[in-house]
Amino acid sequence: MTMAVREAGTAAATRPRHIVCEGNEAAALAVAMVRPDMLSVYPITPQSSLVEHLAKLCADGRMDAEIVDAEGEHSVLSVLQGAALAGGRTFTATCGPGLAFMFEPYWRTPGLRLPIVMALVTRDGITPQSVWGGHQDAMTVREAGWIQIYCETVQEVLDTTIMAFRIAEHRDVMLPVNVCLDGNYLSYGAARVTLPDQAGVDAFMGERNINWHAALDPLRPMAVDPLTGGSGGKGPAAFLRYRKGQCRSMQNALRVITEVHDEYAARFGRAFAPLVERYRMDDAEMALVTLGSMTGAAKDAVDEARAAGRRVGIVKIKTFSPFPVEALAQALAGVGAIGVVDRSVGFRWNCGPVFQELLGVLYRLGRPVPTASFIGGLAGADLTVEHFHAVIARTAALLGGDVPDGPIWVNEND
Amino acid sequence: MGHAYATIAFEAARCDGCQDCMRACATAKCGSDDISRARLQVLPAVLPAGQPLDGGAPASFELAMCRQCGDPRCVAVCPAGALAKDVETGVITRNADTCVDCLLCTVGCAYAGIAPDPADGRVAKCDMCDGAPACVAACPTGALRHVTTARIYNEVGDWEDLFAPGLAGCQGCNSELVMRHALRRVGPDTVLATPPGCVPGMGSVGYNGLTGTKVPVFHPLLTNTAAMLAGVKRQYKRVGRDITAMAIAGDGGASDVGFQSLSGAAERGEEILFLVIDNEGYMNTGMQRSSCTPYGAWTSTTPVGRETKGKSQDAKNLPLLMVGHRCAYVATASTAFMQDFYDKLDKAIAASKHGFAYLHVYSPCTTGWRFPTERNIAVARTAVETNFVMLWEFTPQDGLHLTHPIESPRPVADYLKAMGRFRHLTDDQIGHIQAKVEENRAVIAQIAAGAAAR
Amino acid sequence: MDTRYLVVGSSHAALEAVAAIRMHDPDGSLALVTRDRHPPYSPTVLPYVVSGRSVPESVRLRDDRYFTANRVTYLPGRALVRLRPEHGTATLSDGATIAYDKLLLATGATPAIPPIPGLDRAAYHVLRTLDDALALRSAIATARRPVVLGGGLVGMHAAENLVEAGAAVTVVEMQPRVLGAYFDPIAAGLIERAFVAHGARIVTGRRVVAVSREDAATRVHLDDGDTLTTDLLLVATGVKPDLAYLADSGVAHEAGILVDDGMRTSVANVWAAGDCAQARDFLTGRPILNAILPEAAEQGRLAGMAMAGDPGTRSYAGGVPLNTYRFFGHHAIAVGTVPAGAADHLRHDAAHGRYLRIAVADGRLHGMFGVDVFFDGGVMRQLILRRTDVSAVIDRLLADPLRTGRELMSRMWK
Ligand SMILES: Cc1cc2nc3c(=O)[nH]c(=O)nc-3n(C[C@H](O)[C@H](O)[C@H](O)COP(=O)(O)OP(=O)(O)OC[C@H]3O[C@@H](n4cnc5c(N)ncnc54)[C@H](O)[C@@H]3O)c2cc1C
Ligand code: SF4
Ligand code: SF4
Repeated sequence: MTMAVREAGTAAATRPRHIVCEGNEAAALAVAMVRPDMLSVYPITPQSSLVEHLAKLCADGRMDAEIVDAEGEHSVLSVLQGAALAGGRTFTATCGPGLAFMFEPYWRTPGLRLPIVMALVTRDGITPQSVWGGHQDAMTVREAGWIQIYCETVQEVLDTTIMAFRIAEHRDVMLPVNVCLDGNYLSYGAARVTLPDQAGVDAFMGERNINWHAALDPLRPMAVDPLTGGSGGKGPAAFLRYRKGQCRSMQNALRVITEVHDEYAARFGRAFAPLVERYRMDDAEMALVTLGSMTGAAKDAVDEARAAGRRVGIVKIKTFSPFPVEALAQALAGVGAIGVVDRSVGFRWNCGPVFQELLGVLYRLGRPVPTASFIGGLAGADLTVEHFHAVIARTAALLGGDVPDGPIWVNEND
Repeated sequence: MGHAYATIAFEAARCDGCQDCMRACATAKCGSDDISRARLQVLPAVLPAGQPLDGGAPASFELAMCRQCGDPRCVAVCPAGALAKDVETGVITRNADTCVDCLLCTVGCAYAGIAPDPADGRVAKCDMCDGAPACVAACPTGALRHVTTARIYNEVGDWEDLFAPGLAGCQGCNSELVMRHALRRVGPDTVLATPPGCVPGMGSVGYNGLTGTKVPVFHPLLTNTAAMLAGVKRQYKRVGRDITAMAIAGDGGASDVGFQSLSGAAERGEEILFLVIDNEGYMNTGMQRSSCTPYGAWTSTTPVGRETKGKSQDAKNLPLLMVGHRCAYVATASTAFMQDFYDKLDKAIAASKHGFAYLHVYSPCTTGWRFPTERNIAVARTAVETNFVMLWEFTPQDGLHLTHPIESPRPVADYLKAMGRFRHLTDDQIGHIQAKVEENRAVIAQIAAGAAAR
Repeated sequence: MDTRYLVVGSSHAALEAVAAIRMHDPDGSLALVTRDRHPPYSPTVLPYVVSGRSVPESVRLRDDRYFTANRVTYLPGRALVRLRPEHGTATLSDGATIAYDKLLLATGATPAIPPIPGLDRAAYHVLRTLDDALALRSAIATARRPVVLGGGLVGMHAAENLVEAGAAVTVVEMQPRVLGAYFDPIAAGLIERAFVAHGARIVTGRRVVAVSREDAATRVHLDDGDTLTTDLLLVATGVKPDLAYLADSGVAHEAGILVDDGMRTSVANVWAAGDCAQARDFLTGRPILNAILPEAAEQGRLAGMAMAGDPGTRSYAGGVPLNTYRFFGHHAIAVGTVPAGAADHLRHDAAHGRYLRIAVADGRLHGMFGVDVFFDGGVMRQLILRRTDVSAVIDRLLADPLRTGRELMSRMWK
């Protein structure tokens, strides 16, 4: 169904302006600018202020959207699925236990090919009971089929949230997107951000055509998601066709994410590396691989290390799903040692999940680069410049052949 | 063809032989108080029981009157073309001008439906008083009823069946009946959710790219039907389109794992028509227990063993819980009472345009409850006649009202013995169920009395 | 012309068959061929046409609208003259040939003309068709001394018409009483009494030996030497099917076409019903001509159902004699037969001319006959067909046949 962009007027802003806000508010403001149809919310720390901002924006008439205060995250996402199947642009946010409760509709959303955008205010897993940041929730669902994009700064949260809708709704993609912002550090961290002008966002979003592929519309009745598969007949082949299409779209997303970031940069003058950011990687003999807000401290540490003559750089992953294998292989092509810093654990391999994924990239590089897994920042722990100096030192040791046989727990002695 | 008509039904057990009906008929039709001229004859039964009268125990009173046959023999034998079936009303009419008084119709009819009026010797028969039978109005005991359900079937016959033919339900399945009737009534501007269970199991959402439904239909999760529909409905409302968001769900999904989303949607007043087909268990997956399964019932997870015999807890009263949500409309229904069901469907559709409408249809399951396939409606009726199932409706404005009160309910054992899932019950268990029926009746009566007192 | 169903005749048997076919097969091509030119009517109504009580326009049993609505090709004024079942074809009097899949012969009966010397040269009337009735009607106006040959139903009906027209009628019946096929001497006596009271003369037990003409008058010579001079002679000495069209067809027949309990003839795809058919007698099990309207209707219906393949098809219960007879404001009803050795239960109110006779054999009801005692003939017919043992209720049945029959009905098949 095609729907023209509604007239501006309730929009948050019409010309660029600067404000100071936390990441949760930045996400909410971005959502208002894309003029969603339906929001569904349920509060959970550290996401709560995000949905409070959404509610306020609606209550104040600054955003014209339906807001459904559902009785739990499971219904939150289910309401959005219904709305998206009826052609709506939708958004929600959750984290940790909320995501776990939501899992049943969550892992169904990509299969339904619904372009839902969800902020994942990342939170560590329970138990031990914890309400603080960490990537364990997002990492746990990394095979559910969502696009997952990690932000580094509050500004990036705002801009990425806007871009996420374009990516999700792209005809070659049609997949849900998690915009991941680190619990505590980005959710509550206040920073000065520049708001894009509403007219510019409207133009950037373009003609609305969200639900062109499948719909629950009495004007063109169809069955959505009939039973598919079985042990014989054409069922399993049909199932395979759907799955293959989903995988292809995930790969298409690598291109689309890049194009959307380029377009955004051209229009608004703010550029972010779409898949992988190379920081001071020219002539680097070793690289740190980071994800999310920790990258700020890592960059400060690298700057200092460079000043001290160390040839170290950073490869920051922005797009974690789909995993940018090619971009990473290129970024890491010349290094002799890699230190991967994870904010969650991979229980099965006794290492960080990003580390584990990166091992596949090394295979693509065609040479066994010494690599170490660092795990830090769990349950809200801070990853400071000092921690990264330790990481750099330990990574340098890899160059001499000192490869640890297990993960290095960064905050162990804090 | 395919037309159904109103009829006059006679329940011999209620008749006390007062003959008010005959007086009313004689007055209405002949302006006379001579009851021998009435076109229905209530006769005190005087013949003994037993052979050769193989009809079983005699009722106290018998009735002779025209049945307004579908294939009337009186018409077939009339040489004058004086008798005809009125296609609109179904009444067999006689044209007094062309009738030649040959009496052949009286030998054609096997029901004593047409006979000479003793006053003039010309044949006369019941003409249903133009749709308002005087006899029924005069009957003080309710033994005579004017059954007008046919109107619904005729109307329904004109609506499109929005399910494809060939849904693969079990033989004699009541759910298919409920689904087809309900969706026909609701109409094509509908988005239908059928969570996993018998309804999609018989192919309504379809298999491998084929669909069984002519309106947009989807499988929600077992757990999120109400929430997904809420999203669909709100989005359409937002863009100014009036659709009916309808669920046809099973009792298991609704009362157990899907109850949270149901409760949430009801509390928020989502504009949904939520129809539960209560076959008292997870029948599609092999007849496991749900919280709507009644006490004592065999299911594949409450087997009959040495230690326990069937389910050891009472059923959750889901419709009453929905009353607790103060939904815009809540009602229970049964396919043995289609007119009642249709009335409630109409109200539920209307309510779903401004709030949450909940319809709970009791649906005997031939396969899971273990009774012969042709007994479905009889079992459904017995459930109501024993008060095992009570038919009522609720709105926040008018409270709860019984729509088909049973004045002298039959013992619940009559219901229990109609099916295999209760075959093992001990007398104690039957006593427990009877007591629960009484308790439930008292609870409902109390709520209804509260409503009446307002 | 090709048709799926071909029905020959347009009276009760034929019309019921058409209705039954259309109940089950709304679309199969169906043609109705009839010798008569008038819209369908019943021979039974003809006495009322003669008397003027009915007019030809009001006695039609179906009209063109019915045939159109039911997609029946109605071909009046054409007689079946030849049947070739081996080709599945029927040849009509206009030379046309119709190819059929299934054929029903419902050609009824025609007056049987007795081999009385001189009759073939005399002018006489019969009463079987509407044209007969109209001819008789105009003759009545001037007739002074009509003679009716035959005291069966047709003869007695016509005699009453003549009496009411003011003529001095004589009925000559060979049997010892009129209406002997239906009524016993007491009942017949009551009927004869009524005729005599209205000025008719009933001559029973006399045969006509010759008929001669003298100028305008016709003389009827009886076997006792008596001679009746008449200006209107009506021959009503019974009916017989006219089956000339069956020559060389292979369809087995005696006086009528032999049919089984499915109204099937000896030849594939050919059925017969009504007055032309010889079907099983309920009492004796032998094939009989039971030329009455209710049987014609019933047989026609069964044949139609069988032809259409209606799964509800039942087999014929067997013929039961059945009649109602109205005379001078009185009525007589006869249902069933009196088998040899039957016990008779009688009541006779000579003063009021009311009579009831019940025939019971082996406890079972076999027949009920009444004059001015009304009972539900259709109910009694069912009791007979169900071989109901009425010995326990016989007194009540005799005292109050109406209520007792209705109570039995309510209990047994309501
Ligand atoms: C005066 C009278 C009074 C009667 N009273 C009674 C009564 O009171 N009670 C009772 O039960 N019965 C009565 N009958 C008998 C009753 O009318 C018949 O039993 C009944 O009509 C038989 O119906 P049918 O369809 O078999 O044949 P019919 O009514 O005889 O019709 C035969 C049809 O076939 C057509 N036909 C014949 N030959 C051909 C051919 N070769 N080709 C094409 N078409 C052909 C005719 O035109 C006619 O349409 C009476 C009959 C008469 C004449
Ligand atoms: S009079 Fe008798 S045959 Fe005619 S419609 Fe009524 S019940 Fe049927
Ligand atoms: S009595 Fe009248 S209505 Fe009955 S069969 Fe005869 S003509 Fe028809």
